[in-house]
Amino acid sequence: MTENQLIRQAAEGDARAIRSLYDRFSPRVFAVVRRIAGDDELAQDYAQEAWIRAIRALPSFRGDARFSTWLHRIAVNSALQALRKSQTRKKREGPFPEQVAVAPREGDTLLQRRLEGALDRLPEGMRKVLILHDVEGYTHDEIGDALGVTAGTSKSQLFKARAKMRDMLAALDGQAQETGVEAWSI
Amino acid sequence: MEHLTTEILARLVDEPPREEETRHLSECQVCTSELDALRAQTQALGSLPEVRPPLGDWEFLEARLRSEGLVRDPSLFHRLTMGRTPGWMRAAAAAALFLGGGMFGAAFTGDAVRDVPSGTSNGAARMAAVDNLDDAASAVRNAEADYMYALARYRELLGEESGQGEIGDPITNLAALEYLVAAGQAAVRQAPADPFLNGLLASTLAEREAVLRRISTRQDNWF
Repeated sequence: MTENQLIRQAAEGDARAIRSLYDRFSPRVFAVVRRIAGDDELAQDYAQEAWIRAIRALPSFRGDARFSTWLHRIAVNSALQALRKSQTRKKREGPFPEQVAVAPREGDTLLQRRLEGALDRLPEGMRKVLILHDVEGYTHDEIGDALGVTAGTSKSQLFKARAKMRDMLAALDGQAQETGVEAWSI
Repeated sequence: MEHLTTEILARLVDEPPREEETRHLSECQVCTSELDALRAQTQALGSLPEVRPPLGDWEFLEARLRSEGLVRDPSLFHRLTMGRTPGWMRAAAAAALFLGGGMFGAAFTGDAVRDVPSGTSNGAARMAAVDNLDDAASAVRNAEADYMYALARYRELLGEESGQGEIGDPITNLAALEYLVAAGQAAVRQAPADPFLNGLLASTLAEREAVLRRISTRQDNWF
C-alpha cells in the first residue's frame, strides 16, 4: 500500500493504517520531541499529543508538503507548545556528571549518549534553538517563527548553546582523563 | 595572545570569519583546534539517530485515539490479535492476556474457569523439544493465536448465554480494572523497560476504556 493510500485510510479512522503510519514515523517523531522535552517522561506525553493532533488533522492534509515534513512540524510545534505550558519543568543546569543521565538505548554510541546527555542539561531556550538548527536543520527564520523570536535572537542563542555544549563536553573529557576512563574527544 | 571566545568560534562554524578573526586563526593553534572541535560537535549533532518510542507506547496511543473517537472499531479478532504489532509486543500482550484473562475469569466467572483443562503437561512436553529462540517465538505465536480464538469464542458464547454480550457487571469490572491499572502503573514506574509489565498495563488500560465506553452507552446509565 502506498503512503498516500495509508494516509487516506488513516484519515478515515482505519486503525491498521494509523498503526502503519505510526510504525513508519514514530522514531522520528519521538526523537525530536524527546530532545525538545529533555526528559523521557515528558517526551512520552508530548509524542502522544503530537500523534493525536496529527491524526485529528489528517483529513486536512492536502499533500502540498511531504507527509514526514508535515508530521515533523506538528511534532515540533506540539512539543514547543507543551513545553511553554509546562510549569513543572525542573532546571537542569549544574555540574555535568561523569555518568550522563540519559538512559542508554540499544545501538547508542558513547558519543551519542554524551551529546544527548549534554543536550538535556542545556537551558531550555538554548536547547530548543540548538536542536531545531543543528539537529533538525531549521533555518533561523523558521526557528524565529516557531519560537516567536527574531532570527537574530535565534542566532545568538545558537552560538551560546554550541559554546555551552562544548564546555560541558570538554569538562566531561577532562573528568574522564583524570579518572583514567577512556573518553571520546571532539 | 588573547584567544577568540567559544561563542565567537561557535559562530564561525557556519559563518565566515571577519578579517581580524582570520588573522588570529592563522596564528593560533589553540583556537583552530577549538573551532575544529565545534565543527565536529555540530556535525555529530546533525547525525544523531532517530529514537524508538518506549515499549507499550502504541497501546497507550491506541487507547487514547479510541477514547477520542479517532479510530473506527476493528473486529474483535483484530483487536485481540493486535494486527501487525511487533513480535515482542505481541508476546508481551499475549502474556498479559493470559494473566489478565485468568484474573478476569477468576474474578467474574468463578468456577467456570477452573473447569477448563490447562493442558500444561502436554505443553511442557512440547516445549522441551524447542531449543532455539525462533522456534520458541513461533510456539508463543501459535499459542497466542489459539488463545485469542478461544477467548473470543468464550466471550461470544458467554454473551449469548447471558444475553448481555458482557462478562459480569461492568461497574464491578471497572472497579477491578481501576485497581489493576493502579497496580500496573506502580509496577511500570519500578521497571519502565519491562515488556511484560508494559503490555499488561496497556491491555488493562485498553480494557478499561472499553468498559467505560460500554458503561457510557448503557441505557440504565444513572451517573
